[in-house]
Amino acid sequence: METLSLLAGGFAVAFTPLNLTLLFAGCFFGTLIGALPGLGPVNGIAVLIPLTFAFGFDPASSLILLSAVYFGTMFGGRISSILLNIPGDEPAIMTTLDGYPMARAGRAADALAISGVASFVGATIAVIGLSLFAPLLARAAIHFGPADYFALYILAFATIGGISGIDPRKTLISALLGLMIATIGIDPISGIPRFTGNNYHVYDGIEPIVALVGLFAISEILFLLEKTVKERTKAIHVESWLPSWKAIWMTRWAMLRGSFVGFVAGVLPGAGASLGSVMSYTAEKQKSNRDGTFGKGDPRGVAAPEAGNNSASGGALIPMLSLGVPGSGTTAVMLAMLISLNVQPGPLLFERQPELVWGLVASLYMANVALLILNLPMIGIFTRLMAVPTWALMPIVAAVSFVGVFSISNSTFDLELMVAFGVAGYILRKMDINLVPLVLGLLLGGDMERNLRRAMSISDGDWSILIASPISITLYILTAGFLALSIYLMRRENIREKALSE
Amino acid sequence: MRLTTLLTSKLSLVAASFMAVSVAAPVQAAECIAPSNPGGGWDFTCRTIGRIMQELDLVDGNVQITNMPGGVGAVTYAMVANERPDDAELFVATSTVGITQIAQGRYPAPLDAMRYIAMLGADVGVIAVDNDSPIQTLADLNEILVSDPASVTTAGSSSAGGWDHLRLLMVAREAGQESLGDIRWVQFDGGTDAVTQMMGGQIDVVSTDIGEIAGFIESGDIRVLAALSDEPIPAFPDIPTAKSQGIDVTGYNWRGVYTGGKITDAEYDKWVSDLETLYNSENWQTAAVEFGLVPIWRGGADFEAYVREQRDVMEQISRDIGVIN
Amino acid sequence: MSIRLGGVAIFVIAALYTYYGKDYSAPFGDVLGPAVFPMIVGIPLMVLSGSLIVFPSGEVTWPARNHLLRQLAALAVLVGYALFLVPLGFPIATFALIALLGMVLGGAPVKALILGASMSLGLWVLFDQILGLPLAFLGSLFGDF
Repeated sequence: METLSLLAGGFAVAFTPLNLTLLFAGCFFGTLIGALPGLGPVNGIAVLIPLTFAFGFDPASSLILLSAVYFGTMFGGRISSILLNIPGDEPAIMTTLDGYPMARAGRAADALAISGVASFVGATIAVIGLSLFAPLLARAAIHFGPADYFALYILAFATIGGISGIDPRKTLISALLGLMIATIGIDPISGIPRFTGNNYHVYDGIEPIVALVGLFAISEILFLLEKTVKERTKAIHVESWLPSWKAIWMTRWAMLRGSFVGFVAGVLPGAGASLGSVMSYTAEKQKSNRDGTFGKGDPRGVAAPEAGNNSASGGALIPMLSLGVPGSGTTAVMLAMLISLNVQPGPLLFERQPELVWGLVASLYMANVALLILNLPMIGIFTRLMAVPTWALMPIVAAVSFVGVFSISNSTFDLELMVAFGVAGYILRKMDINLVPLVLGLLLGGDMERNLRRAMSISDGDWSILIASPISITLYILTAGFLALSIYLMRRENIREKALSE
Repeated sequence: MRLTTLLTSKLSLVAASFMAVSVAAPVQAAECIAPSNPGGGWDFTCRTIGRIMQELDLVDGNVQITNMPGGVGAVTYAMVANERPDDAELFVATSTVGITQIAQGRYPAPLDAMRYIAMLGADVGVIAVDNDSPIQTLADLNEILVSDPASVTTAGSSSAGGWDHLRLLMVAREAGQESLGDIRWVQFDGGTDAVTQMMGGQIDVVSTDIGEIAGFIESGDIRVLAALSDEPIPAFPDIPTAKSQGIDVTGYNWRGVYTGGKITDAEYDKWVSDLETLYNSENWQTAAVEFGLVPIWRGGADFEAYVREQRDVMEQISRDIGVIN
Repeated sequence: MSIRLGGVAIFVIAALYTYYGKDYSAPFGDVLGPAVFPMIVGIPLMVLSGSLIVFPSGEVTWPARNHLLRQLAALAVLVGYALFLVPLGFPIATFALIALLGMVLGGAPVKALILGASMSLGLWVLFDQILGLPLAFLGSLFGDF
């Protein structure tokens, strides 16, 4: 009950003219940054830190502006995923799988609306989960040791196998290539550089956003050039500028399931939003892909990961606030922002500054409401982007991606690397190798390796530590069950196809 | 052209709401490079020093902050050494971590390639155990580290051979453990990650900076055996220093700045005196404490000598434990 | 055939990766060591890409020659941008990038030039002035920056 009154207090703080203005301005600004490929929440919030100092906002207003930009950029990342097949940031990558095919089929408005509503549903569930379970979950998360994390990543990679593709070998190749790239750079455990060729620019590893933009945006340009000028300049036929409510309603269960899975993934310290969206997509696909529509523009394939990654971001607040452990690059920047506002997350934050914690939760929720209000009417404008001829759109996309990457690292080496990734991405796509598992391997591989090695250091080289805790045993049983189910479903599919062809 | 109009109309909207900051873009009088992504300790150093320099009118206009991540500072180090060694408007954030890298030969240029201006504050290293741990004092821990090092797992936020690890080994060596390689070390991504894992029973001892984990000390979840500082930490006067327990080891993680090695002495002295003014201001003292730092001043020749000495100590211990040959 | 060639390329990369990866070692303090995970990744990758060489699946249709030339032109523009961004400064380099890429993609030259001019300045204002991410207006060719 006390939690509820604190939460209500948080909402009351947000309802001042200044704070509402900041909320909407932040959402709009954030959506714009997020929609630019190569720019994501990290940039948005980094830009914001000096701004809040410049204006001298009080901590509550700063938090509101921060949350608005945070969710705005997350939302904006979907727009380029859906319209251009270029994920604006890491967690948006799963949305390309079904969002872009939907847009190609003329249903961009539906896809955008579904992603908006799904984000909202995910955030709502996360806020409910936070209010009910935060203190409890913070204590439970402590018991997740390195071996358990390793088991969790094994489960994640087992589910990635189900993402796409006719030939499972190619999905595996893609994931392994990603894991391979993840090992480039200084090894944080031993401190030695690996696979760097003594080039200092890759000592910190390959920045995922560089790989992401190269693989998707630049290879897309190369694909466009395969077509004739006539095909290229023809804009996509758009069914409707405005979304259909029926399409949104049909995905309601996918949204709820995605939110649940995402929240659980988010609560684990260090797992974060990317894992949340992967797990909710693959779980939904496993559950609902009866007619093989996933990957070809199934609305549920947009709803589930969108709901999942937003509720994971909400869930990730629990370890961030109560333990000070950021779950992802984005929450890491948020953590820095909180510290600059003189808020030190840690075990005492919930007791000492409850009004601040619940104010943050309230403002995150308000940001999602504001985004819904702001973006549903703007869907018409965004879908009109589809009407821009590609000869104009793609150069701008390329320029923005380049600047986005350059403005952060100030290194033209990253630009060259991006082009190289573009060529590699083009060749892999020509070979029918899906790039999504590769990026996921790159994103999750570092943590997977480190937790394996930490576990082995703790056990002093005894491999049995990997199956020594009830948590890891449960996760391996889940993995086995998941794989068995996939094989069963694949068999059934084959039998049915044979029956049909006979 | 529809897109262009769309973008420009959006632009002007954004511009309208955020113009206040960017109306005046005055001449850049100083630039601070944070050799990391936004959000970390080096970024804090640049942004805070930059902000306070403006507040105190130590520069004309604003201080431009550039992030140049790569190789734990190596990319920036190479750039300054090669391209801007005489740029008196440039300064770069660094810390003990940077000196560790130099001591272990991981930077493309030696220490002498730069001029070290000042340190403005420091985070203090601590050695902590879980509240339920049977280890009660630093003496208890040292006894175990010497007689049965394999029975405890130690951890922190740096790699093996990094600063969190080195200062724990310095303590163990002072206590009489010669074969330092027998002590098991587990790296985590941050001090809080390590503490959380310790609370979950995965590891036994954590060596890291106090700033990040202060909340866990206040809440009583962990017990600090020793602070690696000369004097007790102002915020935690009850924590005994290692020195007071007969172990003569300090392990600060200081925050400071360097500049190119070819600027003139006059330019260098100007930087030292400007930063001393900044250090003595109320603004810095507050900002540093808020970020969990103890304000400590060392500047000019004094600081350069300190940095050299620290490098030598680190190089020696790195050699002793086999990180470098 | 192309799938087989691709398989060979991946196999070679995986083999080199495994070869270099197997020798990494940490002096102490790291039980599993830095070499094991690269083995766990590299060896299965060699097996899988090897199987793709022996049993290829799917087919690749490469674009016709004139399209290939356009793709090469686009890559040249992109690499050129990376090389000339610092010497030329942001607006000029970006103008060239957008205008040339627009033409390669089949836009009318005049329109592409106009687009390049307006967007390069617009992006500079957006990033440097509004977002506060510093971008040099004139490059190192034009003296100081």
